[in-house]
Amino acid sequence: MEIDAVAKNFQRKLSVYQSLDERFEIQKEMYRGQQYSQIYFIRLHKMRSLLYSLVEKWKPDVPVCTVLGLEEGKECIIVGTLYKHMKLKPSVLDEYSKERSVAPLVKSHNFMHPDDQLVLEDESGRVKLGGTFLAPSMFVTGLVVALHGKETSAGDFLVQDILEPGLPPQMQLPCGSGEDKYVVFVSGLSVGSNTSNPLQLQLLIDHITGHLGDEKEQSIASQIVRVVVAGNSVEITLGLLNGQALASKDQSRLSEPIKELDILLTQLAAAVSLDIMPGPSDPANFSLPQQPLHRCLFPGASAYNTFVSCTNPHSFELDNVRFLGTSGQNIDDLGKYSDAEDSLDFMERTLRWRHLAPTAPNTLGCYPFTDKDPFLIESCPHVYFVGNQNKYKTRLLRGSEGQLVRLICIPKFLETGVAVVLNMRNLECHTLSFSTHLDP
Amino acid sequence: MATGSMKNYYKQKKSGIGKSPSKPKSKPTNKSPAISSSLGSDLAQPTVLIAHGSPDLKDEFGEDEEVLRQFDLNMAYGPCLGMSRLDRWERANSLGLNPPKVVESLLRGGKTGVDCLWDGRV
Repeated sequence: MEIDAVAKNFQRKLSVYQSLDERFEIQKEMYRGQQYSQIYFIRLHKMRSLLYSLVEKWKPDVPVCTVLGLEEGKECIIVGTLYKHMKLKPSVLDEYSKERSVAPLVKSHNFMHPDDQLVLEDESGRVKLGGTFLAPSMFVTGLVVALHGKETSAGDFLVQDILEPGLPPQMQLPCGSGEDKYVVFVSGLSVGSNTSNPLQLQLLIDHITGHLGDEKEQSIASQIVRVVVAGNSVEITLGLLNGQALASKDQSRLSEPIKELDILLTQLAAAVSLDIMPGPSDPANFSLPQQPLHRCLFPGASAYNTFVSCTNPHSFELDNVRFLGTSGQNIDDLGKYSDAEDSLDFMERTLRWRHLAPTAPNTLGCYPFTDKDPFLIESCPHVYFVGNQNKYKTRLLRGSEGQLVRLICIPKFLETGVAVVLNMRNLECHTLSFSTHLDP
Repeated sequence: MATGSMKNYYKQKKSGIGKSPSKPKSKPTNKSPAISSSLGSDLAQPTVLIAHGSPDLKDEFGEDEEVLRQFDLNMAYGPCLGMSRLDRWERANSLGLNPPKVVESLLRGGKTGVDCLWDGRV
């Protein structure tokens, strides 16, 4: 009571959390020698029935046919999976190729080449796509689209128009109680890296937990309802993972970063609800969907029920605001095999394509599902975030049916010292920057 | 009369024989099923070329198995390798593809092969 007279106590705000990760969990699936044809079949089937219903509104007069049913000169609409034939795409078979020197050199940032070609395929066959309407640089392998055009005498399909699935339908954004509630996104903590800066990270944690600043700042901190750690929380020194058996002293070096992370997460979990997603550098499985980091890795933090270890991709609802996000692999892979102005454009495309990771399983590791494609986006999220990007970027995307999506690129914390804060009331976004440099 | 009762008495393994009694029994067809699998569909041997009422290399499997193999080969229900026939039927059913009911009852009967015809052969 006496303390109350001096310092005001703030109650942290609460919100209702519902995890929607079930579709990303691998539980009863068994590997029985299935191949990736299954996932493409499911994807094509689900997307095609969706596209057929959209085609009726798009071009009701044009007949729909399959690739096998194409006739020369007859205008029609075909629906199928795109395949991008890429000269520079690395292939294991190149090693055995006799004409090695013929292949042109790969550019530093991606595998694009002006000669790349698009092919559309369905169960009945495949057809080369001609014409200048489609720019191959925009598209990637694994997308399902509807194309309007006709077959030429050369046997190509001359594309005149394209229909993408477009933004999925969205639940109405709840008009909340009008109070500010914040969600903090951070990714790329890279605890254990050589350039790691523990003070910077501790400042972030102290700010979120309300141990920093004056009353005003503490009151803002009390409005943070959730922290999402979007991948790459630890970095394990490369030298350790060379496939050799580890000496016992190296084993402790291997677990050091995770222990350190656990100490940090314990402080966070004691104060606020916390979601941690695995990323490409974390001790989780490689292929998407990545399964939750095991609780045993975090003996301290997992004692709190505020600590949630979740999948990557991760989907949840907070006070009926729907969130969807990944640790960045899907967008990074699009960057290798297609072109866009910035990562936000890639994000926007995945929403329009209604597919979180179209390049899986072609160039992105993916579990060989047989009965579902968990990456299909059936319901449009309100907030779509992607971790481990180079820069902080954000945009409000408006769909044709009134959908409103906040796109967020979360930068790597280690490199930028930036965490992203989202206000759930109005989907506004700002950054928290931490710097420990003292020079002016 | 006598042969009829004999047939009832001795269980016959080959169902093809009842249909084509004229087929010479000279060579016992103990061919490896790997060869027959590619002939699961009769298309491999056009009807014109069938001399004795059934394809030459037809192996010993029953009509039930024939129905199931045709189901395996039907691309409309998706790839068959890597999942059991029942799983594939159920997937097709849940996708609204109306897979044949006969196949389900055969599979649920439990007297037929569980895996698709390619299983263990590719």
